[in-house]
Order: sequence, then C-alpha cells, then structure tokens
Amino acid sequence: MRRVAIASMAQSSGGESRDSLMDFTFRVAKEALDKAGMTRDEVGCIMIGSSDIFHSGLSCSNSFDWDGTGAFLKEGSRAEESIFAFIYACMRIMSGQFDTVLVTSLVKGSENPDNDACTSFFADPFYLRPVGMNETTAAAMQMREYMWRYSITEEQCAKVVEKNLGNALYNPYAHIKKKVTIDDVLSSPTISDPLKVLECAPKSDGVVSVLLASEEKVGELTNRPVWLKGYGCSIDHFYPGDRDLLDGELKTAAAAAYKMAGITDPKKEIDVAEICEPYAFQELLWCEQLGLCGEGEGGTLIDSGVTRMNGTLPVNPSGGVLAMNPYVSRGLYRIVEAALQIRGRAGEHQVDKDVKTALAHGTQGFAGQCHSVVILEG
Amino acid sequence: MAKEEPREFKAEVVVPYELAVGRTWTTFYDTLKEEKILGTKCRKCGRVFVPPRTFCPRCFEEMDEWVEVAQEGVVETWALINMPFYGQQLEIPFVSAQIRLDGSDTGFTHRIGGFDLKDFETVRTRVKLGSRVRTVWSKEKKGGILDIDYFEPVK
Amino acid sequence: MGKPVAIIGTGQTNHGRRRDVSYPELVREAVVAAFEDAGITPQDIDGVVSGTMPSMMEGISLTHFYFADALCQVGKPILKVETCGSTGQSLGHCGYYWVASGMGDIVLVVGHEKMHEGDSQATMTTVFDPFFQQTFAAGAPGIFTMQCMEWMYRFNIDEQKAREAAALVSVSNHDNAFDNPYAHIKIRVTVDDVKSAKVITYPVRLLDVCPNSDGACAVIFASEEKAKKICKKPAWIKGMGFRGEEFFFGESDKSVWPSATEAAKEAYNMAGIRDPLKELDVAEVYNPFTYQEMIFYECFGFCPRGEGPDYVLKGTFKKGGKLPCDPSGGTLCTNPIGATGLIRLAESVLQVTGKAGDRQVEGAKLALSHAMGGTDQFNGITIVSSEL
Repeated sequence: MRRVAIASMAQSSGGESRDSLMDFTFRVAKEALDKAGMTRDEVGCIMIGSSDIFHSGLSCSNSFDWDGTGAFLKEGSRAEESIFAFIYACMRIMSGQFDTVLVTSLVKGSENPDNDACTSFFADPFYLRPVGMNETTAAAMQMREYMWRYSITEEQCAKVVEKNLGNALYNPYAHIKKKVTIDDVLSSPTISDPLKVLECAPKSDGVVSVLLASEEKVGELTNRPVWLKGYGCSIDHFYPGDRDLLDGELKTAAAAAYKMAGITDPKKEIDVAEICEPYAFQELLWCEQLGLCGEGEGGTLIDSGVTRMNGTLPVNPSGGVLAMNPYVSRGLYRIVEAALQIRGRAGEHQVDKDVKTALAHGTQGFAGQCHSVVILEG
Repeated sequence: MAKEEPREFKAEVVVPYELAVGRTWTTFYDTLKEEKILGTKCRKCGRVFVPPRTFCPRCFEEMDEWVEVAQEGVVETWALINMPFYGQQLEIPFVSAQIRLDGSDTGFTHRIGGFDLKDFETVRTRVKLGSRVRTVWSKEKKGGILDIDYFEPVK
Repeated sequence: MGKPVAIIGTGQTNHGRRRDVSYPELVREAVVAAFEDAGITPQDIDGVVSGTMPSMMEGISLTHFYFADALCQVGKPILKVETCGSTGQSLGHCGYYWVASGMGDIVLVVGHEKMHEGDSQATMTTVFDPFFQQTFAAGAPGIFTMQCMEWMYRFNIDEQKAREAAALVSVSNHDNAFDNPYAHIKIRVTVDDVKSAKVITYPVRLLDVCPNSDGACAVIFASEEKAKKICKKPAWIKGMGFRGEEFFFGESDKSVWPSATEAAKEAYNMAGIRDPLKELDVAEVYNPFTYQEMIFYECFGFCPRGEGPDYVLKGTFKKGGKLPCDPSGGTLCTNPIGATGLIRLAESVLQVTGKAGDRQVEGAKLALSHAMGGTDQFNGITIVSSEL
C-alpha cells in the first residue's frame, strides 16, 4: 500500500466569523497551500468535507464549496463528514492516481440552527423524530446507562469538562475559553437529564485544510511529514433501541485501525489522543472502547490524571470538541491537532512528552452510531 | 398484516439560518442603494466579476480592486419561467437571464421585465440573445438583489 | 490507469412512484438485488459508499445513519459521498478508489432518492446561493433552458432544427424505456406530441424533461483477484474523470461546457480512447433534458461543436445507430437523482457484460457512463470495458 503523509495544515478558530462561508473557506485552504509552497494549479485533487442543507442552508453544498476550496476544473469530490473526506483523499493517493490532495472541511455553526435542530433530522420522520430523538437525547440516555452499569459518578464526567476547557485556554484556535471548576459544571443547568449544559459541546465555526501527499512527493513540501498509519470505521444499527449503547461500533473501528497500524497495546503505544467528545462522559466511554483503559474504568482513568496534559496519555490537549465543535469539521480538527502534537508544533498546548504515535477519533449519529479512528505517526 | 394500502405521512421541514454576507457582498449591496453596480477585478487574469468576489476562483488570489460597471449590458441567455414550486420567490411567469454588464466579464443573474410576459411568443420578440438591456431601479432600496427591480430591453 | 478494479454485480429497484415502500426499504431492494447478481453475501463486503442528492429532497439529513441496516452493513466502514446530480458517478469513483487503494477488496456502492416525498424543484432551487441567484432560479429547467439558448445562439443553430432534433431525442428515449424493465416512464410519444406539449421553460416542453422518480441502485466493486475468483464476466473500469466549474452560473461558458469537456478528456486519456465515436460501443449519457443531451454529445467528442442536432437527425445515437446512447431510456425516462448517475454506470456494465436483455447493444465491449450536477456545474464520467 502506498504511504500517505500530511504535508501542511491550516485551521480557523472557532468563534463566529463575519466572512461569508465562501471567503472563510478560501482563506484557510489558501493558507494550507501557501505553507507547502504550492499553488492551486499544482494540486492533483480537491476533497471537500461538508454537509449539505441542514448544516449550511445550501443544498448540494459542494456547489457552493467548490470555489473556496480551489476546485475549479480540478479532479475532486465531496464527502459528508470531514474524516470521510480525509480517508477518501488518502485512498486517492494510495491508488497511485494522485500525488497530492487538498482536503478542506467547512462549516459555520454560527449561521446554523442549534446542533439538535440539525441532528433531529438524522431521525426518521415516522418514529424517532416525533418522539424527540436527537444527539443530545440519545447521549443523555447513554450517560444514564453508563453511570448505572459501571458506577461512574457525575463528578467524574464533570472532570472531563474541567480538564478539556482548562487545556483549551492554551489553544489559540479553541472557541470556548473559560476556566471552569467541577462545581461549575455540576451546578450548570440540566439540559437533558443527567446531561448538564457545560457537559455539552457548543456550536462553532470551523474551516480546516490538510494537504496530503504521497511518499514520493511529500519531501518537496515539508521536512516534517506526519504519516497515516491506521484507519478504521464502523457503523452501528440505526435505532438506538437495537443496540447496546455502551458496547458500540467504536471497538470494531479501533481494532481495524490498530491492526493496520500494527498496534497491539494501545495503552502503551499511543502517545496522545484527540477524541471526539461532544458530551463530556463520552470521552470516558470512548477511552474504554479504544482500549486506553479497561471496561468500566473510564471514571478511574480521569481520576488518575493520566489523561491530563502532563499525564502519561494526554487526551484532548487541544480542549477537544467541548471547547470547539464545528460539527462537520470536528473530525479533521482532531487529526490536525494530533498531527501538530507529532510535529511538536502545538505551541502552548504541546504535551510534555515525546509524541511519535497519535490517535484521532471522530463520531456522529445518535450515541455514536458511526465512529472513525485514525492513527498518525511521525 | 395491513389490509389497507401503505400510507403516506405528511411532514414539513423548516429550518432557519443566519448567513454571513461578508464584507465584499455587503459593500456590493450598500452601493446598490446608491444605484451603483460594483465588481471586483482580478489582478492576475484581469477579469471583472459581478457580483464581486473576494477571490478569483481560477487564480485563487484575493481581489481588492473595485470597479464600477455600466448599468447596461448584453443578454447572454434567458429563460421564461412558467413553472411553480414551493417557496418560489418571484411570481410566474418571469424571465430569468444572464446579463453581461459592460465592463464586466461574468454573467450577472437577474430578471428582464417591464412588459407583459403572459404570452411567450411576444416575449420572444422583446428578449433576444445578444440584445441590450438596462437597469431599472426599485424606488425603495432594501440592500438586496431586488434593489435592481429588473432589466428592460433597450429600444 | 492504476490498479485494475472490476464491477461484479449491479442491482436496481423498479423505479417510479414507490408509495409501497419506505425509503430504507427502497434502498434495501437495490442492495439485495446487487448481492444476488454478484452471488455474494453482505458478509463478503469490506466497506460501503452511500449517497443521495440533497437531503432536503426527503427531509432527512445524513441518510447513511438511517440506512445502516438497509445497506446490510452494520459493523463495516462506510463513506458518504455526494456531489449533487453527479452523485452517482462520484459514488462509483469512490468505489474504484477504495478498492484501488488496497483498503478493501469488495466494496458496495449505493445511490438512492425518493423524489416523490419532497418538492424537487424547490429543493434544487436551494442549490443556488441565497444572496444573489436564488431569487431568479427555477430549479433545473431554468438553468438548462438558459444553457440551451446560449448554445443555439453561439453555434448559430436553427431553432426549428434544434426543436426537431430534441423531439427525436425524446421519442427515441421514450421508445427505449420500453426495453428496460426498471424504467419509470413508459409512454409512446411522437415528434408532434413533444412539440405540442406544455411549455415548462420556453422552448423546453414537458416531454423534453425528465420525471421525478423514486429509485435506488447498487453496484459492487472488486479487486482483480476477487473478481476473477467470484465473477465469470466482470466489467473493468478503464477511465474516470470528474470536473466542476465555478459556483456562479454566469462565470463559465456553458455552451462549450468546460467541466463536461474536461471530464471526458480525462476519462479518455485514462482509457486510451482517441476517437470516442468510433471506439465506444454504447453510451449512457445523463440526459434529463433533450436539448442538453445534444450539448453532451459535442462535449464528449461524439460530434463537432454545433452539430449535435445534425447527428441526431442522421440517427447516429439511436438504437442501431453508430453510437447508441441511452438504450435504457436514460435519465429522460427515469430520474431518482442520487441514484441516476449510478444507474448510468450499472447500465453500461450490463451492456459490456451482455446482461442488458432487450436493450442490449449487440457485442458491446466498451461503454461510457456519465452524470451531471449542480447548477450546470459538475460532470463525472466512467468508462467500462469487457476486457481487463
């Protein structure tokens, strides 16, 4: 299999941009190209990560996205989620047909209705939508089951927020910059019991661009390539009632990614992880399913301090999705943050250890219906 | 087992957005209020875009040069729309058209009007490809695309 | 062309107004048919690609969640790829790259749409930007009409001649649909019927435009090794191309349509095709509008610019002609948009594998399939062959 590397990256910060979506996209895509000293004409292929109408008000969003991503008369395509766009771009290089692909994911949460106005449209119109299903409702049910089955406490869940928002204070691109205590979290209003407001991700603006290159080409573009080592993805049943919400498809996705990367003991081999935790407790549950701790041990994991910025296995040094949630782009943000850690270029939120191998994770759908896991290496 | 024919289910999806217009397009709309039509010019390829763009999609460079274009231009193409659909913003029939304003290099989408559109054979005699049209401004300006009411054929 | 990739099975629903099934049930119908055709089971699949046109068509967002079970792929990797009307071709391209990358050996690709559940032209109008063009947009017919007017003017094509040729295109597609068990619209029409049908957007009339259809299509891609093991007569991907123009309709010259021209050029280069009219045996052109079908012939190099109508009047593209186009009845008779481009690919596969039944073009070995999307913005092409 042909090797693929990240050659350059650019990201916007998460606060509301007054730029139109088209201009907002252009600036970030252009920055990624400029960093690699490449022009639009020289890129082999353009890949867009965006979601149509519900996350932009535009049907067939690739139409509007085409100009800003630099795709005029270039080979290209669009995936409906940013990690999908990333891996499809990698496949294009692996196939031998292309040497470079510019992947850009874009969304402006500030222009959209509330997250759950959008996620409720994942629900079928006959059954789940009329009974109020959306990602937050599903997450609340999942959280209750998680606390009950494994005696996870509300304090342990709240601790994730305290940790991640604490990390975000050092990330110049993070959207939410606010120091919160465990008490702040626990006393914040209940949004969907047992979930509290501060345990739920905001909605953010976010354009992120990654220039990918083949092994043959990447040397011309950077002296710090970050390699794709593993990928796994898996989708679960649609109806939450058909699944065990605590034993979902993340295990399958992780197993595939570890196998491809040759990882046998993720706890030891992963140096840092950027995990998609739109709801605080999910960081703990996903850590279990990624094999970063044992089953039911998510609570003790956070208590131990291992996942803190200065711990032995830092999780979400960027502040994660709780600090920055550009819905469609958030997966690619995890990849970029993981890659920055490998390069040692994360700045103030660079972790205190050598990072060789990093994990990036993305998820969407009710209670994590679909998961993707990416393993990167320096 | 259901004895009846499978049913259909009525549903409606309405979702509100607040879309940022951005600086370039805000400038364009603000100057429409003064009855001026502005475009931006790409320094690299020299093309003038109306409506203006912040960057040239082909050269992928920012554009910061503003140009006022003429209020008259050539009909590049047109269509008489006689087809209703949900949420349609204009009343049918109307003539949708691409107009290349003098001094610009792109087709500007607007409508042609100012005469009876009921009979399309008559419309065909009034609207022709390559013919010239000019701007008719709305009396009341709202900072939107309909500050230009329509384009009318130049006799 | 890189690693060889084959298509080992296809499945289609009966397209039309499918009140009898829910959207996931419709998807499942195509998927099950593809498994039967390929003689494999859902367990054999390494990954699935799913896509539709815009989600507003049915009012459901990110449909891959909803269809996880209908696709029979729970526990498998999935990709959702969409590029508007050209989605079907983009889905196929993704199937190719997934297998060619070595990330999977057998990949299921599914396109779907249930257009009767929404208002298609209202949906398509929201493809236009809300700031400038949407106000004046009238779905697909509005822009296609503007394009065909520009084309006739540019090449000085006599309006009556174009009208006559477009009517013939309509007649031959409607006739062809009778040979296709999956086709939606099955009516006999005459040239006079077309010319006197209701005006939609002048000069385009009702019988010049495609219907709204419910339908799904599934296509199974496989590596060379697997294909040779599983399938007696696979079709092989020989060339692909996808191009898009600027978002604003007025920016590119639609009468010579750069995206269609360049996508074809790319696919021909890959496939080593120099004279498409001579070398291709059959083409499944995405033809939602009769006039536009003739513009495609020109962009794809089937005839010189401005001569599309002359070639149609000569019978070049009809059944038994030099290059039969859309023996399936094409998009003009069946258009579940998210599936349509993939149906074109599936039909081209049926042709080169000799499985096209009554619509079979005798001895077809090399076939082109195509789809178009956006506001006349995107074109995607795939070329398949019976030979590796």
